[in-house]
Amino acid sequence: MLKRLLFIILILTLGKSSGRAQSMEGEYNLKAAFVYNFTRYINWGPFVPENEFIIGIVGQSSIYEPLEEIAKTKTYNDKKIVIRQFNKAEDITFCNILYISHNNSIPLYSIFTKINPGTLTISEEQGYAQLGTAFNFVLIKDKLRFESNIRALNSAGLKASSQLLKLAIIVE
Amino acid sequence: MLNIRDISIKSKLVLMQVFTSVMVLGLCFAAFIISDIKGYKERKTDSMISLANVIGLNSISAIDFLDNDAAKAILGDLRKISPDVVHATILDNKGNIFATYSKNGTGTYPFPRVQANKKFEFVRNHLLVYNTIINDNEITGTVCLRVELTELNAIKKQKYQIAYILLIVGLGVAFLIALAIQPYISKRLLSLVSIMNQVSKTGDYSKHVVVEGKDEITALSLVFNNLMDQIQESHKKKDEFIGIASHELKTPLTSIKAYLQVLDSIENNQPNKQYIEKALENVNKLQQLLLDLLDVSKIQSGQLQLNINEFNIDTLIDETIASSQIVSPNHQIVREGKPVNQVISADKQRIEQVLINLLSNATKYSPGAKKVILYTAKTVSAIIVGVKDFGIGIPKKEQSKVFERFYRTKELSKHHISGFGLGLYICRDIIERHKGKIWIESDGKGSVFYFSLPLQSSVAAAPSA
Repeated sequence: MLKRLLFIILILTLGKSSGRAQSMEGEYNLKAAFVYNFTRYINWGPFVPENEFIIGIVGQSSIYEPLEEIAKTKTYNDKKIVIRQFNKAEDITFCNILYISHNNSIPLYSIFTKINPGTLTISEEQGYAQLGTAFNFVLIKDKLRFESNIRALNSAGLKASSQLLKLAIIVE
Repeated sequence: MLNIRDISIKSKLVLMQVFTSVMVLGLCFAAFIISDIKGYKERKTDSMISLANVIGLNSISAIDFLDNDAAKAILGDLRKISPDVVHATILDNKGNIFATYSKNGTGTYPFPRVQANKKFEFVRNHLLVYNTIINDNEITGTVCLRVELTELNAIKKQKYQIAYILLIVGLGVAFLIALAIQPYISKRLLSLVSIMNQVSKTGDYSKHVVVEGKDEITALSLVFNNLMDQIQESHKKKDEFIGIASHELKTPLTSIKAYLQVLDSIENNQPNKQYIEKALENVNKLQQLLLDLLDVSKIQSGQLQLNINEFNIDTLIDETIASSQIVSPNHQIVREGKPVNQVISADKQRIEQVLINLLSNATKYSPGAKKVILYTAKTVSAIIVGVKDFGIGIPKKEQSKVFERFYRTKELSKHHISGFGLGLYICRDIIERHKGKIWIESDGKGSVFYFSLPLQSSVAAAPSA
């Protein structure tokens, strides 16, 4: 509880600097916190994980470390959070969240072929939401925001709460 | 300083009633207004806490994703939802401002540091509400609202107005009721006082108060009536006693006087003759006193009768002056004014008695003076006679009392001048029976006793007592 509180304080402290240009490290801390926060507003329905909550990262990304930190202290509905990293499309196995970092050379379509229903896709590349990821981080006026593709969400069999969607930039 | 004792019972009653009504009404209104205001504040507080709660729930995601604009937009909706809210702020869990709202679009309200257990407070006509945003058992932030209490002022104004109007109406009604009720008490008291005054002025103890009802004033009236009866009874007994006693004394005194006169005529040796004359002089005084007492007794019992005949008033006056001059050799009795030369119908003896009385008073009560003046004058309708002395005079407040029975001025008592205080009483009665008037004018240099006798005298032979 206390740790979680400290975590929130941490991200809010980071948030304070969100008005200014964010350092790479700061940006990924924030992205990691957002990714974790998404779990609170997304309903996985029948795809709710049984043992562990898996967050997969496609490509090498600075988000790995902060996510690992979160995984150490946080859970999803009392289930352990596990971080996995995939460097090739063939490696991709079932994840609850698949984070597609912009730092990879794998074509998006080949990633999509490996994705099963019940996986929330999050990307950080301009125009990816239009291409079919559920959420896509963008920087607007130096602030971290996110686009959302509702159709992608629906086809993944997930439901996002209106509280989340009202903050999102809906692209489709 | 207003003394409550100086206020009349009438005013006291009215004041009491009005004061009581104002107190009761005021307290009732105060209670109603306070409970109304309290109720309004409670309702407002409840609704504003709910509103803050809703805002908080709606802002959780905005705080989670650091979206100030979204939070601001949520607060912006207040303009439509609740125009009473003038300022609103969402604080994060560290107390930093996350989003603000101001009804008129500018400025932020510096909300005081939120205290853990305080959910609302009233600051200068505004309601401040603090609502913590809790998400997954964690405090995510706080919603602060500053609410204008314009309605409260309107409600207050309206209630005060109603209260004022009702208070004034109540005051008026209380005043009217008090005015209507007070005569039952004060009117009767005042009538009692007025009758007492009359009795004290006229000495007519036969007056009674009308007794009605069963309250304290009735008791007072009953006691007063009883007192009057007792006074009347004791007066009656006293008069009877005076009558009987003076009558019983008169017979032996007449006999003593007769023997003394015989002795006086046959005794020529001194000092015996001188003794006899001294005794005779005192017997005469005693006899005069008894005659006065008898006259009073007659006046009281209504037995004094006038023996009307016609005579010239000038002759009577001159004769009386002459005889009085002999009795009072120390004073010179001077007649002033024109002779009236008028024949009148009156009781000569009684008028003489009045003149003697006034002249003897004038000499007796101005022992240091040398002169007594008797004026006569005639008007169209009356003869006026005045007897002036040069004594010490009679103070103004005693002047009206000198014609009362047994009344003696304080100065007389001081100077040990003897007398019963009956002479002027008898004089007044005699003059009034002649339909005349008797009065006094006096200052520090002496007194003048006047009496008037009407010319067209229609004096009845025996006026009732």
